[in-house]
Amino acid sequence: MTTLKTTITGISLLFGLTLSAQKKDTQQELPFSNKIEVSDQALEALFLAPENIDMQLAPGLRLEGRIQNKSVHGNAVTSLLIKVDSNPGGTLSISRYKDPNGKIYYAGRLLKLHEPDGMMLVEKDQHYFFLETQQRFLVAE
Amino acid sequence: MKRYSIHIVLFLSLVMHMNASAQVPVLNSFSSAAATIYLDFTGGEVDGTIWNENGKIIAEPSGLSPASITWIHKMIADHFKLFNLNITTDPEVYQRAPVKQRMRVIITTDGSWYGPVSGVSAIGSFTWGDDTPAWVFMDAVSNNPAYIASAATHQIGHTLGLQHQSVYDSYGSMITELSGGESNIFSNEAPLMGIPFYKQADWKDGHPSTGAQNIQSDTAVIAGAPNYIGYRKTVAGSIPSEKAVKIERQEPGSLGITSCGNYNYRLFDISGRLLTQGSLKTGYNEIRTSPESSGILVFQWIGESVTGSQMIIN
Repeated sequence: MTTLKTTITGISLLFGLTLSAQKKDTQQELPFSNKIEVSDQALEALFLAPENIDMQLAPGLRLEGRIQNKSVHGNAVTSLLIKVDSNPGGTLSISRYKDPNGKIYYAGRLLKLHEPDGMMLVEKDQHYFFLETQQRFLVAE
Repeated sequence: MKRYSIHIVLFLSLVMHMNASAQVPVLNSFSSAAATIYLDFTGGEVDGTIWNENGKIIAEPSGLSPASITWIHKMIADHFKLFNLNITTDPEVYQRAPVKQRMRVIITTDGSWYGPVSGVSAIGSFTWGDDTPAWVFMDAVSNNPAYIASAATHQIGHTLGLQHQSVYDSYGSMITELSGGESNIFSNEAPLMGIPFYKQADWKDGHPSTGAQNIQSDTAVIAGAPNYIGYRKTVAGSIPSEKAVKIERQEPGSLGITSCGNYNYRLFDISGRLLTQGSLKTGYNEIRTSPESSGILVFQWIGESVTGSQMIIN
């Protein structure tokens, strides 16, 4: 009986390890140096904003800039390209997606080409964060 | 007179542009797949993307001949034979593809708006759905079709979420961000996500630029979430190279080999000297070598979509 238990535990452990190894093979989480939480409401406000934007996206992240381009792709994606004048500068590219169930979600990145760092907007557990990371993980040659 | 000159110049530009578009052969590697990579050899205007920090970009047509385009398309398509993904030169196929499963790769002459590199792309942009393109700059690779194909495949890999394959020392410190691969008598291969230009390049499992603690399986990333491309169900290329050929029996003077397909083979000794070469047929094959063919040998096989090599101690 003890042998059976040991065998089952061993197999479970092996199965768990295999699953975890498989998980590691797919997309990796990016290393980041700073993380700023931003609300859904603030992100949605960007899509309703006038051409010139001046808003506090999150504590420590003020956005002053101008919408350079607004485009709709298919019937589910609306994208904004915002030229950012406030720190850290660059271009914020952000998209609003509507899935077939009507759920809205966002993805984006704040970049200035050839700069060492950039920011990526990610969703985790229904919270949005701007992650500050090395730009080579976002744009590559 | 001046007005006529302007009209003539405009007319000639229009004819040249139409000619550039007309010269591109319509090619599709796997038409039944929804996920699409569009190789754009015709250039055009790009605006409203992360590349447009300084306004519109006018991409010149590649100017490549239909034969070169066909060859480049084949080289790129071969690298994606495993996947449920269509490599096309047809803009209409791109337009019909799901917005979150498509990518336009602009193959153009000049990348001076960005810098002296063979190409640039945004990692994971295949699923962004906002038509952000990837770029290949032909001038930076001397307009060499083989290098153009390698550069395009590398950039497509980035858009599908792949980071560079890197080399680290035993302490986990990065030695070089772009792995140049191996070069010895057993292997002359490089990762497509490293430096893919000078060796036989393929997708690899290795340590990406995000850290030595990570493993990036290129094929798993391409096929899996969030791309949701998956693998093709029936294709010769889906046979892993290690399973394509099996050495059943070995003795001085002969080898018994089971092959899953029709491949060309070559047998080398440890110094890299070619001992014999020929063709393998599907099933069991008997290969005669000279009785002196002993010691460490390298058996290499090459098919249309699968290659591999194996060391034999005879």
